[in-house]
Amino acid sequence: MRAVAEAVLGLLPRDVAYGDVRVVRKTHELVLAERSGPGELAHEESIGLGLRVVVGGQWGFSATHRLDDAGIADAVERAVVQARSAAGRGEIPLGEPVTTQDRWETPLEVDPFGVPVSTKLDLLAAVVAEAESAGPLLTRVEASMDFFRDDKIFANTEGALIEQVITESGAGLLVLAGDGNDVQRRSFPNSIPRNIRGQRGEFATAGYEHIAKLGLVENAARVADEAVQLLTAKPCPAEMTTMIATGVQLAMVLHESSGHPMEADRALGWEASLAGGTYATPERRGSFRWGSPICNVYADATIPGALGSFGYDDEGVRAQRVQLVRDGIFLGYMAGRESGGQLDVPSTGSARAESWQRVPLVRMTNLCMEPGDSSLEEMIADTKGGVLLDVNRGFSVDDQRMSFRFTTEIGWEIKNGKRGAPLKNCSYSSITPEFWASCDALGNEDEFSVYGVPSCNKGEPLQVAHVGHGTVPARFRNVQVGTR
Amino acid sequence: MTIERAAVEAALDRLGRGARLDVSAERVGLLRFAESRVVFQHDEERLRVRARVTRDGRTASGMLETLEPAFVGALADRLEDGLASLPKRDLAPATAQLGGVASRPVASEATLRAGAPDRYRAFEEIRAGLGDGFALGGSIRHDIAERVVSDSDGLYRNEVLTKATLQAIADRDGRTASVRRVHRDSAAIRVDDVASVLREELRELPIAESVSGPFRAVLRPQAALTLIATYGYWSLGAAGFDERRTAVAGKLDERVAGQLVTLVDDGNDPDGLPSGFDPEGTPKQRVPLLERGVVAGVVSNVAWSHVTGGVSTGHGVPDGWRFGGDPAPSHLLLGAGDASEEQLVEACGDGLVISRLDYLRVLHPKETLVTGTTRDATYRIENGRIVAWYPRVRLTFRIDEVLAAIVGVGAERERGDIVFMESVVVPPLLVEAGPLTL
Repeated sequence: MRAVAEAVLGLLPRDVAYGDVRVVRKTHELVLAERSGPGELAHEESIGLGLRVVVGGQWGFSATHRLDDAGIADAVERAVVQARSAAGRGEIPLGEPVTTQDRWETPLEVDPFGVPVSTKLDLLAAVVAEAESAGPLLTRVEASMDFFRDDKIFANTEGALIEQVITESGAGLLVLAGDGNDVQRRSFPNSIPRNIRGQRGEFATAGYEHIAKLGLVENAARVADEAVQLLTAKPCPAEMTTMIATGVQLAMVLHESSGHPMEADRALGWEASLAGGTYATPERRGSFRWGSPICNVYADATIPGALGSFGYDDEGVRAQRVQLVRDGIFLGYMAGRESGGQLDVPSTGSARAESWQRVPLVRMTNLCMEPGDSSLEEMIADTKGGVLLDVNRGFSVDDQRMSFRFTTEIGWEIKNGKRGAPLKNCSYSSITPEFWASCDALGNEDEFSVYGVPSCNKGEPLQVAHVGHGTVPARFRNVQVGTR
Repeated sequence: MTIERAAVEAALDRLGRGARLDVSAERVGLLRFAESRVVFQHDEERLRVRARVTRDGRTASGMLETLEPAFVGALADRLEDGLASLPKRDLAPATAQLGGVASRPVASEATLRAGAPDRYRAFEEIRAGLGDGFALGGSIRHDIAERVVSDSDGLYRNEVLTKATLQAIADRDGRTASVRRVHRDSAAIRVDDVASVLREELRELPIAESVSGPFRAVLRPQAALTLIATYGYWSLGAAGFDERRTAVAGKLDERVAGQLVTLVDDGNDPDGLPSGFDPEGTPKQRVPLLERGVVAGVVSNVAWSHVTGGVSTGHGVPDGWRFGGDPAPSHLLLGAGDASEEQLVEACGDGLVISRLDYLRVLHPKETLVTGTTRDATYRIENGRIVAWYPRVRLTFRIDEVLAAIVGVGAERERGDIVFMESVVVPPLLVEAGPLTL
């Protein structure tokens, strides 16, 4: 792989002002057990190169799976022809040169690709068996594990040469219950939106040891039982009330209402024709009140084991922590080299590509809410009336990331400081700064957890990023909740 | 790039009994622009080799980017080990009929030849046509895919699919309008009128006051497309139908939409983006889904063919598809009416024109309850005329209620696509007041 990268750079013509190449071997293993079906095993491998060049102030990008001499030469020509065809724009500001030479590898205890498939299947079968105890109203039970490994080389014309091996492990349980009139879903430990390969469950940059920590067997019966209970549960009442979100639920709100809007490429309008723009415009840095004074948000790619952690991003910039919101005020962005250059700030090491065939985009790393000094139990005890909402089921957010609506898999009524009966079809909606301004309590450090979300979609062609979200339970006053 | 038949057959031999290959040699050329300048270009070639081996009710699958024997052999050994690990199942093998002749779409020479300079010229033409005062964003894209589906029982199907896509969004003073065009043949996509269409959409109009309550609406084709595609994906597949998870489950031959709604899935219809067969090699069937508002059928793949009379309708999805594994509609066509869009606006009287529905997401699949926002060129209609811009609004509604409230259908259909569906062809729709509420 290193030889391929060096060969590519050696072929760049003299008018290339900047070039970088990534050679990536991506491996994915899926093991799935289900209640009544045949189960599934999948092994996927992909290897190729992605080359970016700047000629005459324009980017060109080409990607190929052909790593022989002809394929490499062809890729170089295609990237250069693209850039030349639109050249003449001036310079692309890339900030400080990246010259790092290093190697980085995900720390792990047990290589997940070395664990026998039969061991994995046995565990998943036990999870399914536990879930089945919930009875005949279950219509689907799936337990799955996914493991990813990215073995990649990054090299550029500034002298950088970085080798990384990133390993990710994840697993989850999905249960559907139905009675002919209604269908309810519960998933564990994290939301499983659909039966999408590689996106089911809770993920981390870790080895097989991560799977054992998830408690799948221990929680399967409870989760399945909740799915059945929801069929006869009360619908969430439509009212303005106090809402408490669990940490895993808060993760997705943070993702959509803080993470995407604070990506520098959105602020520059580069995503306007796709997902849209942002309320977090450059002139609002340092002055826009995003949330209440207890809200502090940062992105940190250095958290050990978190899904959005790595050594270097796909432009060779070292992983780092960047503060986005302090004391409720919006401060700045996650940025790559060019987007940072356009905004006159350094890259925050946030440019990542799904694989070799995609260009690096500004992506969240581990987006985190700093803990407060309350706790879930204290919040509930201190709430006269309201709802507690858990595990995301769906969401929609407008193209400026202001108006949003989320739904959750399950909720509970809160009455006189106590958690009450379960509620189904819960939704809540708000406007981003109003919502976060209404946050009056955050869970403490003991409740802080980083959730791995392997399903962040962005860009054209579409890319899926694996990101982490560090959150605590949180309470919000006067939020519109209901079922629609 | 071409896929060598001998290499496919050698790979099937190595994978052994029960093997199927879905091979796709793909080329993507893309130019993206924002703020009236090029922000990046993209030229990608790849070979996706999806292998699936099914024996004794057990299935293992894999994916490679090569057909080289050494790599295929390593994968075959791995799948063999995997099959041995899976519990044996006494499942009757799916016996969907795979025969029949698949239609063969004609690859467009213009799309096959299109390159980066062509894309840049098209962008320049639109930018120049718009002139100053507009921020232009969007993309111009060319896709080529040579597909082969083959199995160890002798099935071999192949086709070359081309696709050209143009999307342009113009922003003037915070108001936006968009154009999206898609065709198998890039020569059939007009570029010369895009700027004038956008300018007309962004014409000077006052901004309407927000109102509340139910309203009538004219859904232009791009908005109707999102609505119909979302409904089709969530409601009209055999798996959800059989598991009673969807809105139409148990309602075959029952009315679920208005009389004016006739919906089919037809991968052979040239009004869409035709393709001949699905990733299982089944020829695309024409499937009536809603006939004058009555449920007429659902789409299936081999595994769910028992729902559709034991015959797959050719709506399997690729292994590892990011939108799930269940069969799903691929080429929806909504029947046209006889009204022009202007006549629909006139018939609307008071209401809104909605050009796009953005981020439309399902809140409750069985109820077809969705939420999303309007985007680009939303107008206020008064007395049958467009009189003002209307601010972006969030709408939460049931799609089945909207389909039941369609009182007018346009004559001119527009071809579109969406990330989870190959093509959708729809006319503008007039929706009676009720299901949509501000």
